[in-house]
Amino acid sequence: MRTLTTDVLVIGGGATGAGALRDLTLRGIRCALVEKGDLTHGTTGRYHGLLHSGGRYVVKDPQSAEECARENEILRKIMPHCIEDTGGLFVVTPADDESYADRFVAACRRTGVWVEEIPVREALRREPLLNPRIRRAFAVRDGAADSFLATHANADDARRYGAQVLTYHRVVGLERVGDRIIGAVCEDLRSGETVRIHASFTINATGAWAGKIAAMAGLHISVVPGKGTMIAMNHRIVNTVVNRCKMPADGDIIVPIHTVAVLGTTDIAVPDPDVYDITPEEVRLILEEGECLVPGVSRMRALRAWAGVRPLYREQDAGSDRDIPRTYKLLDHETRDGVAGIVSIVGGKWTTYRLMAEHTVDLVAQRLGVTTPCRTADLPVEPLHDSAASAPRSSARTQFAILASPFYMLGHRLAEVEADDSYGDLICECELVTRAHLEAAIRSDGTANLDDLRRDTRLGMGPCQGGFCTYRAAAIWHELRNGTAQAAGAPPATALIGHFLQERWKGVTPTLWGDQLRQERLNELNYLETLAIDRLPATGRDTIVQGRDYVIEEVV
Amino acid sequence: MRTTIVIGAGLSGLMGALALAEAGLRPLLLAKGQGATHWTAGTIDVWGADERSPREALQTIITSRPGHPYALIGVHAVEEAITRFRALTEAARYPYVGGLERNVLLPTAAGALRPAALLPVTMAAGDVRLGGEMLIAGFRELRDFYPPFIAANLAAQGIAARGVYLTMPPAFRRREYTTVTFARMFDDPAFRSEIGRQLRAQRGNATRIGLPAVLGLRDPLEVVAHMQNESGAQVFEIPTLPPSVPGIRLFTLFQQAIERAGGRLQIGSEVIRGEGQDRRLTTIWSEAAARQQEHRVERVLLATGGIAGGGIRTDHAGIVRETALDLPVRAPANRADWFAPRFLDPHGHAIYTAGVATDAHLRPLGAADEVIYDNVAVAGAALGGADTVRERSRSGVSLATGWAAGRILAGLVS
Repeated sequence: MRTLTTDVLVIGGGATGAGALRDLTLRGIRCALVEKGDLTHGTTGRYHGLLHSGGRYVVKDPQSAEECARENEILRKIMPHCIEDTGGLFVVTPADDESYADRFVAACRRTGVWVEEIPVREALRREPLLNPRIRRAFAVRDGAADSFLATHANADDARRYGAQVLTYHRVVGLERVGDRIIGAVCEDLRSGETVRIHASFTINATGAWAGKIAAMAGLHISVVPGKGTMIAMNHRIVNTVVNRCKMPADGDIIVPIHTVAVLGTTDIAVPDPDVYDITPEEVRLILEEGECLVPGVSRMRALRAWAGVRPLYREQDAGSDRDIPRTYKLLDHETRDGVAGIVSIVGGKWTTYRLMAEHTVDLVAQRLGVTTPCRTADLPVEPLHDSAASAPRSSARTQFAILASPFYMLGHRLAEVEADDSYGDLICECELVTRAHLEAAIRSDGTANLDDLRRDTRLGMGPCQGGFCTYRAAAIWHELRNGTAQAAGAPPATALIGHFLQERWKGVTPTLWGDQLRQERLNELNYLETLAIDRLPATGRDTIVQGRDYVIEEVV
Repeated sequence: MRTTIVIGAGLSGLMGALALAEAGLRPLLLAKGQGATHWTAGTIDVWGADERSPREALQTIITSRPGHPYALIGVHAVEEAITRFRALTEAARYPYVGGLERNVLLPTAAGALRPAALLPVTMAAGDVRLGGEMLIAGFRELRDFYPPFIAANLAAQGIAARGVYLTMPPAFRRREYTTVTFARMFDDPAFRSEIGRQLRAQRGNATRIGLPAVLGLRDPLEVVAHMQNESGAQVFEIPTLPPSVPGIRLFTLFQQAIERAGGRLQIGSEVIRGEGQDRRLTTIWSEAAARQQEHRVERVLLATGGIAGGGIRTDHAGIVRETALDLPVRAPANRADWFAPRFLDPHGHAIYTAGVATDAHLRPLGAADEVIYDNVAVAGAALGGADTVRERSRSGVSLATGWAAGRILAGLVS
């Protein structure tokens, strides 16, 4: 057993947890973060990537709209490299109630959400695939955010200031003495070792899992895991975020992010954030609704479907999930439940993660007697070094004037490949991941499997869904890690192939038909016929740890 | 005007076109693009789902699974196809070895052992049962071949193997490499001499050397002989991910044989529909560069492939179609039954058994087993009734049914 002592323990390696960690370090507070999977393994890594303008909530949830509008501007300033400035549109389709539009504009004015009506023909010029029968169009400051990169950048900044980040550490119990929480007991999922962490204060930033963590301290929080299903199309059918101009509902938004466009979402309450399926009805609904925005979308090539669970906090009875406010809630368990040393931060959305962290750390700092003010609204988050996903390197910047913008640009990887003449080093051709990107990610200590590499580099996220790069990445992993200390206890490279192909398979099956099914059959030809990975004897016994309370993958 | 049409340029279409050309019917082969030869290893896998010999497996399938493509044509047709295929490859100085009596186990680019009934002689020294330490050698410049990974997996299965990377001679450095650029380099004796010297230096105790299957496009036997002389060890090829150099060789030798026998290949022409009456297909239309072409037909061999080849296509509503002639397809009725939860499920995914059902003359059948066209024969992966990837029988089924369909359409089978 290892023991570790810190001032503040943050549970949860999503946007909020990593944001809180950075905020703590900037105020000089010693801290550590534990996460049961890889960073962003929960809801943060499973959302469509929308940087909210606030427009979506102006009518229904004005407080949330105001928060989004303010934070949108702050995030553009402090982490432009994680944000693509796509802009957004709200459009009135023939299926929508026309009277909503005027209420929408009035509510934007009230809440400080920037909006400008543009002629329909201008909207169609910007987005030629949009439904030509739309009646009105409004431009807003929506954007696309890379939540993987942003969370890693926050965590990295915190590390530089001395914070510890322990991934694949699952909390198995909170230590309670009388009416005070004094830390947590964790299991290191990779070594099986028990790790005891003493902390003066614990922040429960586990989102949809907050109820489960709180229960370990005998506390009750009613978090409703609201499942949202999304479908990624294989190309950017729009380059602007497009919303239906109506009360938020299912399937009313398309977010262009990196090389794909995401159709979202549904909202279905699930009893357990670890157990849910994507149903054929959800897929049908999202495609049908998508037809209102982009006619013909259901005949285009869908890559995969996935779901995330929103951490909706239910204070009192709300009618349906969509009626639960999208704003966040900080629960001070000392005043609420008489248990000191722990707070829970629930609800909210990615766009407001920084504000949630600030609000949480304000309370914690006050309890610890620290008076240093929050600096996260002004101090830029350092871009990650050596990251495939981060902003273009200077060589590419000088060569391509278009990349001079501080914001993320879709073309940056191609610009880099062209500047470095590294076509021959592409390991994942779909997402332009080079050998150098991949090797840097494999060498970093946090990665336990190819799915972690995917979150770092976008490996395997393009149309072929790992058809070629899975084999290449596993073999390179073997070359770099075999016989090193990092390899101890880690699954062999062959097991990684089976695991990654299975992870991809889970996501593709709900939308598998047409060209994508054809692609999957080619992947079978590669892995079964040409490589015969199913005949490698060792893989039958291997398991891959992946946040043990979700899944243990038996790799066949 | 050519009235004998083959649709599809994979192994079944090529084998069928050869049979038709040799019968004097001057076939025209139309294909949307290159066929599965370019995507796959280039071996002929007759059966590899279990440890039985291909012949034993064939005999059981023929009685126990009447809808299986092998059962439709019989063991004799498989033997005949193999005999013709071996003679073809020998004449082209690229001989295949092996047969139905036993499978050879060959190392893959993942270090697994893959069963094959027939293999190009350039792969023969890889047979694991031959014994002898292996040196697996490759190039960092080739993204689809990783010697240390291959050797480690072979070693884990008790096969002595070592993996090394060779150095690219400066005169041959390029900006980007594929299997095909490597094959062209191996066609150059200067490149081979340089690589051969490196292999000799690295050889150690190894008696055979496995290289990626990129040993030339022009004369692979010459390349292997040269490498063996230079290195002092047996040399064999290990198939890579696509594009497959052994597959390209196979396509080329078929193309030459078909053209010599009076046939013609037209790649880039997709057959989009057909029309007929009274159980006879009379006309088909192909499309190339936005221009439609009408073909009056006497006989048609449909070899458009399955889901991977594009001969069978599905959509979001769960409809499964045969794409060239719109023939009836047998497929799982419900989309919910298409897939197993595990990608590597040993029983496979039900949708991949979808295809056209035929009678013993490979004529397409409707829902009530009625013959749709008397002058059409279906071959290869367009046939339903089996998941040939899981059975490891895909190339065997294509070769045999392609040959049988060609012979039937030529009137050479009663």
